[in-house]
Amino acid sequence: MKAIDPLIERLEVGDVAADMSGVKWFAAGDLDPRQLAQSLRQQGARFVTITAYELPGAEGFCLEYLWDLNGQLLGFSCRVANKTVPSIFDISEAADWIEREIHEEFAIEFTGRKYEPLLLREGDTLGVNLREVPK
Amino acid sequence: MSYKLPMGPYHPGLEEPYKLEMICEGETISDAKLHIGFNFRGIEHLAETRNYVQLIALMERVCGICSFIHTLTLSQALEKLTGLEPPPRALYIRVIMAELERLHSHVLWAGIAAKLMGFKTMFMACFAYREQVMDILQAISGNRVNYSMNRIGGVNRDITDPAAILEMVKQLESAIARELVPVFTSSSTARSRCAGVGILTREKAVSCGVVGPTARASGVAQDLRRAAPYAAYAEMDFEVPVQPDGDVRARLLVRALELLESCRILRQALDKLPAGDFNCGEPKLVFMTGTAISRVEAPRGEVLYSVSWKQNSRNPSRVHVRTPTYANMPAVRWMVQGARVADAPLIQASVDPCYSCTDR
Repeated sequence: MKAIDPLIERLEVGDVAADMSGVKWFAAGDLDPRQLAQSLRQQGARFVTITAYELPGAEGFCLEYLWDLNGQLLGFSCRVANKTVPSIFDISEAADWIEREIHEEFAIEFTGRKYEPLLLREGDTLGVNLREVPK
Repeated sequence: MSYKLPMGPYHPGLEEPYKLEMICEGETISDAKLHIGFNFRGIEHLAETRNYVQLIALMERVCGICSFIHTLTLSQALEKLTGLEPPPRALYIRVIMAELERLHSHVLWAGIAAKLMGFKTMFMACFAYREQVMDILQAISGNRVNYSMNRIGGVNRDITDPAAILEMVKQLESAIARELVPVFTSSSTARSRCAGVGILTREKAVSCGVVGPTARASGVAQDLRRAAPYAAYAEMDFEVPVQPDGDVRARLLVRALELLESCRILRQALDKLPAGDFNCGEPKLVFMTGTAISRVEAPRGEVLYSVSWKQNSRNPSRVHVRTPTYANMPAVRWMVQGARVADAPLIQASVDPCYSCTDR
C-alpha cells in the first residue's frame, strides 16, 4: 500500500491527480485547511509552504498548501473568501512564518492567530505584492 | 529576575542581519524571539515583471552562496513549463556544480563555526580550502559567485577538461579528509564546545519542518537527492549522513561527513561525464499555461520554486521561493532555550543561516 493511500481514505477524497511537476493534487472538496493539516500531521507529512495567488478580476485569492510525504509532494488548493482563511499555525508551527508573510504580501487574514511583523516593519502598509510595479 | 537581551540586527556575533531577542535568567536563555526582514527586497513580486532571461539573472541573486542552486531550481521549473529536456551531459554538469557549491558552502560554514568556537587557526584553514573550491568553480564557469551556468534546457558552459577538474577535486578531497574533517569529528576542542549545546529534538525538528543538515542532525533522514532525485543524482552512489543527537556537534558532524560525500559524487560525475551536447541550443520557447514546482537539495536543505505562467505572456504571473533558512531559522528559538548566553552565536550559526535567502 502506498503511503498516501491511508490519507486518501481518511480524507475521503477520490480524485488525486499528478501534475506536470509530479505533485499529487487532492481535490479536497469541502475540507478546510485545518482538517487537512491535522490529517497530514497524523500521517507524518512535513509542511513545506503555502503559495498565494491573486486571481484575475474580482475572484479574490487562492492558497496552495504543499506538504511532503516521504519525498512525494502533496498539494491542496483553497479559495479565499473575504480575504480570510483559518490559520493552521497551532496545528503545524512550521506554517508560522509563511502565514505572516502572506498576510504582509497579500493582506490575507489568517484567523485564530496573532501577528507580529515578519518582512515588513511595524506600521508598514500590508499588501506588498498587490502594488503595481512599473514594467 | 529575567531581562531582555537583544542581539542584532547588526552584531559581531552574527554573520548577517537579523535580531535575536533573548529573555534570560542570569546567564541562561529562557526564551527567544526572532526578527527578520531587515533586507527584504520583494524579489518574488519583482520577478513578475521580468522575462525568462531576466528572471534567471534575477533569481541567481537571491543568494550569494547558493546562486547556482537557485537558478537550477528555477530552470527545472521552466523546463517543465516549456517541455524542454536537458541532455545527459548538462544533467551531469549540474550535479558537479551543485556539489562544488555544497563544498564551498559547507567549508565556509565550517570556518565561521570554527571562529565562533574560538578555533581561529581552523577558520583560516577553512577559508584556504574554500579558495580551492572557488578556483574549481571559476575554472568551470569563469565566475566566483554568480556563475551564470543554468539556462532553460541545460547549461551555458561545458566542462572541456574533466580530467583536470577531477585532479583538482582529488587534491581537495585528500586535504579535506586529512586535515579538516578529523578536526571537526574528533578534536576535543570541537567536542567540548559543541556537544550537548543547542539541542533540537527529532520531534521538534519534525514539528518545525526543518530541512537539510539541520534536520539530518536531529535524526530526520531526508535528502531530496535520494528521496526525489533530480538532474543525474539517481545515477550517483552516495550516503546520506544522519546523526541522532540534535546538538551543534551533530550538525558539525553531518556537514563534515557531507563534504566527503560531495567529493565522492564529484569523482563519479566527472569520471562518467557523458559525451554530447550540454544544452538544447536556441529553440523557440513556448510556455504553456500552468504552474510548475521544482525542488532541489541546496547546501542548507530543500529549496522550492513554484512558477506560474500564462501562454503567450512575456513574464511569469507568480514566482514563489521557499528557501531552507526560512524553514530552519524558527527552530533556533527551541535550540537556545536553556542554553548559555555565550553559546547563542554558535547555536544560531549551527543552522548555517542565510538572510539573503530569507529576506529575498
